[in-house]
Amino acid sequence: MRAQRSYLLGTVFSLSILSILGCSNPYPPVVATLNKSAALPGNLPSNPLQDRVITSWIDKQHGTMSTLFGNDIAVQYARTSQQQDYPIGSTLSLVTWTQQEDPRWFGARIPAKVKSVEYVIVKAGADHRTSYTYESYEGTPLKQTLEQQAPTPTPQAQYLISQRAAVMP
Amino acid sequence: MAMTSSERLRLIKTAVILGVVFIGIQFIRPELKNPPVTADLQAPPEVKQILKTSCYSCHSNETKLPWFDEVAPAYWIATSDVKEARKHLNFSEIGKLRVAQQKGLLFEAISNIQTGAMPLPSYRRVHPGSRVTLAQMAVLKSWLNPPAPTGAANTSAADAGYERWIQASSVVPDVHPSPNGIEFMPDYRNWKVISCTDRFDNHTMREILGNDIAVKAIAENHINPWPDGTAFAKVAWRQLPDGKGIIRTGAFIQVEFMIRDSDKYASTKGWGWARWRGADLVPYGKDAAFTSECINCHAPVRNSDYVYTLPIGGQQ
Repeated sequence: MRAQRSYLLGTVFSLSILSILGCSNPYPPVVATLNKSAALPGNLPSNPLQDRVITSWIDKQHGTMSTLFGNDIAVQYARTSQQQDYPIGSTLSLVTWTQQEDPRWFGARIPAKVKSVEYVIVKAGADHRTSYTYESYEGTPLKQTLEQQAPTPTPQAQYLISQRAAVMP
Repeated sequence: MAMTSSERLRLIKTAVILGVVFIGIQFIRPELKNPPVTADLQAPPEVKQILKTSCYSCHSNETKLPWFDEVAPAYWIATSDVKEARKHLNFSEIGKLRVAQQKGLLFEAISNIQTGAMPLPSYRRVHPGSRVTLAQMAVLKSWLNPPAPTGAANTSAADAGYERWIQASSVVPDVHPSPNGIEFMPDYRNWKVISCTDRFDNHTMREILGNDIAVKAIAENHINPWPDGTAFAKVAWRQLPDGKGIIRTGAFIQVEFMIRDSDKYASTKGWGWARWRGADLVPYGKDAAFTSECINCHAPVRNSDYVYTLPIGGQQ
């Protein structure tokens, strides 16, 4: 099917006249390109793409896809524990993109624009007790829309903490 | 300047020889049969019409060559292309395959049209009627586009897989190399995210990860060709819908690798290809020739160094 032989050459040999019927293809050729629209513009406390993947999910109703990242401490914990008790020093970050059709594979959707970036940072408070910071960033460029700190995770922070790691044997 | 009579004679002789050769080669005719149609594609008439016009000439047992394809040497190329095409996708026998396999081939076919890989560009040039227009493409897509899954999935297999993995996650697994000699790279889990895909065609979701060389190449936008030492891992899970509109990663399906070494893997387009399936990480492929499957599937994106993924920008 994808033989490299030129069909054209052979036909030109016998019937060169037909080659002038060549028409342009309605589909642009595939070229190597970055998905720049999905980059994370703005001043973020850290670049989640520098961390490692914990898991991901798709929100059909909102047409978004999210990847949950963790720093070394968080990833190590997520991949070895079924509990939801991330140790101090853990940073989780969630990037949520709107989806676009994959221009190269009908049957797939890939990240389009970043909708939000959220963080859960587990720290030791002044009284040495665990404290949970939740931050969210939205817009283009991304700007902070929320920052909460409490001894217990807020419901949205709890939602991120409660996601179990995707199996990566 | 007038030709001398000897020059004229030589020209006539050459023309006669060429003519005789041209007529002579017409008798060398590899056989191209149309076997009976045993399990034709089941599709609505408007879909069938498009496929018949654009694909069936090579991808079915109903090959009808136009007169100019009956003339050698075009005839030789046509017969060889038809035989090759039928091996890969034959609409006259597709009904024999499992429904999921049929769907996979049809999605691949549409992707191949979309990337301009099919009908073969050289074929399109001499058979302009075979081009699939954007309106026809819309018909094909809406026919294949599956409804989004509704209702919650049974989570028991995914739960069991997770339990097993989390218990054993500190154990180094005993994994056999791929049949082409590539060793499993357990460190893939710690590579960085390059992109992700929601494969609604086969109800899987994937994370595409890259090693440090790949990430540096993205940051510097040197991705065509990718530098030697680049490695990608594509991890696939079953989609696990919760019935409320959220789809999570379910059971682990496989991890696939592409490793760049233009010398070592020169015979496989400069990439080492490998795949391990299931939680037990069973190497994929009967023998080293399994890579032809990988390369065939990636051929439509040869202009982007055989890589489908558009890496997310801003990796630094």
